[in-house]
Amino acid sequence: MRILIVEDDADAAGAMATGLADAAHDCDTAGDGEAGLAAARAARFDVLIVDRMMPRMNGVAMVEALRRDGDQTPVLFLSALGEINDRVAGLNAGADDYLVKPYALAELVARVEALARRRETGSVQTLLRVGDLEMDLIGRQVRRAGREIDLQPREFQLLEFLMRHGGQSVTRTMLLEKVWEYHFDPQTNVIDVHISRLRSKIDKGFERQMLQTVRGAGYRLDA
Amino acid sequence: MRLPRLLRTTTFRLTLLFLALFAASASAFLAYIYLATAGEVTHHADARIVREMRSLQGVYRAGGITALNQAVIERSSADHPLLYLLMRPNGVAISGSIAASPVRGSRGHGDWASFMVTQTDPDGATVRRPARGLEERMSGGELLFVGDDVGESASYVMHIVRALWGAGALVIVLGLVGGALISREVGRRIASLTDVTEAVRGGDLRARAWVRGSGDEYDELAAGLNDMLERLERSIGGLRHAGDAIAHDLRSPLTRLRARLEVAMIEADAGRADPKAALHQALEDADGVLRTFAAVLAIARLEAAGDAPDQTLFDPGVLAEDLAELYGPLCEDKDLEFRCEITPALKLRGNREFVAQALANILDNAVKYTPAGGAVMLRVRRRSSGDTELSVTDTGPGVPDAERDRVVERFVRLENSRSQPGVGLGLSLVSAVARAHRGLLELAEGPGAVDGGGPGLRVALVFPSRG
Repeated sequence: MRILIVEDDADAAGAMATGLADAAHDCDTAGDGEAGLAAARAARFDVLIVDRMMPRMNGVAMVEALRRDGDQTPVLFLSALGEINDRVAGLNAGADDYLVKPYALAELVARVEALARRRETGSVQTLLRVGDLEMDLIGRQVRRAGREIDLQPREFQLLEFLMRHGGQSVTRTMLLEKVWEYHFDPQTNVIDVHISRLRSKIDKGFERQMLQTVRGAGYRLDA
Repeated sequence: MRLPRLLRTTTFRLTLLFLALFAASASAFLAYIYLATAGEVTHHADARIVREMRSLQGVYRAGGITALNQAVIERSSADHPLLYLLMRPNGVAISGSIAASPVRGSRGHGDWASFMVTQTDPDGATVRRPARGLEERMSGGELLFVGDDVGESASYVMHIVRALWGAGALVIVLGLVGGALISREVGRRIASLTDVTEAVRGGDLRARAWVRGSGDEYDELAAGLNDMLERLERSIGGLRHAGDAIAHDLRSPLTRLRARLEVAMIEADAGRADPKAALHQALEDADGVLRTFAAVLAIARLEAAGDAPDQTLFDPGVLAEDLAELYGPLCEDKDLEFRCEITPALKLRGNREFVAQALANILDNAVKYTPAGGAVMLRVRRRSSGDTELSVTDTGPGVPDAERDRVVERFVRLENSRSQPGVGLGLSLVSAVARAHRGLLELAEGPGAVDGGGPGLRVALVFPSRG
């Protein structure tokens, strides 16, 4: 994937580029909003990572300008402002996801990959498939190797999210945000418990374990 | 030019303004009195003059110029108060009590004139007194003037006017003195408030305004100011405490992190150990520091905001059910009985996200501290007072009565909780959320001691009814 990092803090941009390169992505960087806008207009990127507060042109103005051009490249906003209304303002400006500083590199990489994936699968799907696992979104049914798996509504949502991002790491924070719609981190391992229940339903009795725990990042559903 | 302090006060300026208004209305009042009394006097004199004129015209009609001349001579000489002058058609005097007509440019029908007469008073002194008169032409062409001395009435009017002016002057003097006194009193009350703001500006947050106890608006203002300072002092104290606490709580893990990295470097240099493990540990430590930082920041922002931002009306029961669904499996895993008692269709105005986080923190604590085999109960109900209560009751070790106020403070962790993960900010955040909704955080004993466990803890978030 080709990613543009628009961030005025060179150290932070360097760390991001290293982390993304490690996950086999190409990165370009820009030091302010104007340079970022010019770079985004000059080439095609899969995802833009945009810092919200920058000199010359801030992130919100930059993304608004891009969206006016009709450019729908997914944007991940980075911000030191973590209040709910800041997040809402960022998303209203046209960003697709919002990450509050400081963040773990694993979190950043997972979110960037999720954004790129969302773009690839833009069309409406009624059937999700990862390996021998199948999810019928209309019939609300899940089968693995033809065997039906009975899931609770929340487990279904959780698995749907994991399948839509099959092969990618997803973090606990992402799951809490996207599946439960909470924007805080619990002190206890609530997510882990839900994952282990789901795992027992989809992996029990199978040789190959699909739902993997990724150390320092979160979980990944492998085909 | 700077005016003296007293003259610069608002009260004194208001007094002056009031006095100016008063003086203007007093002038209008005096003018009215003057017109009314002086007009009345003139009116009376005029009526008398007209009556006399008609009477003399009657004499003229009956007896001609001779009779009229006779009457004028008689009336002029007698002790009559009126003034007379009979003239030939060309204006030459025939008879009367004055030498010449005061009417200038007479046309001979109904010409009025005001003039001064010179008289000799009983002491022999000459005085000039105001008079009025009417001149008419007779059918034979002769001119007749009848006048009246209005000096007596006019001086009466003058007396009244002078008295009114005196009264006006007295009012202005009294007003100025009164204004000065009131200004000084008000100034003193304001000065005590100004002293406080000066002291606070100088950095003394313990300064308080003087409350006299009369319950007037100055007392209200002073009490309000004191209350504000009280809160300010507490919140600044809280921030200072938070600053110290952050420094303390970030310093120890940062020191640990640094030491670990140093040791890892030495070990790696010597080829003794895998630096990867140390790096993993360092990352975990850093995450811990960041979590602490985020929690402290969230509390500080909530406290700085006063009322929680972005409040909406929502059903607290639905929120509790969502959280129950999130925490239920965790309880089951820990072999805890988890139950809910939720009154449906309640309405609560607040920041849904913050309330959810607060309730999640309470549930986190209950799950963390309740030993296996225990129970956790989540309850949402409306109290008879109309307040909405979200509570979590567990059968864990509870919090001793004496410690209940303390556990809400930042970074306070009881001795038996050291082994559990957490930084001691959970209940502080819950308390901040409660305050930001003008609610309360209540800690009480749980269901009591059972089988060597307990007595449990009941944590309730109480939101006041509004409306």
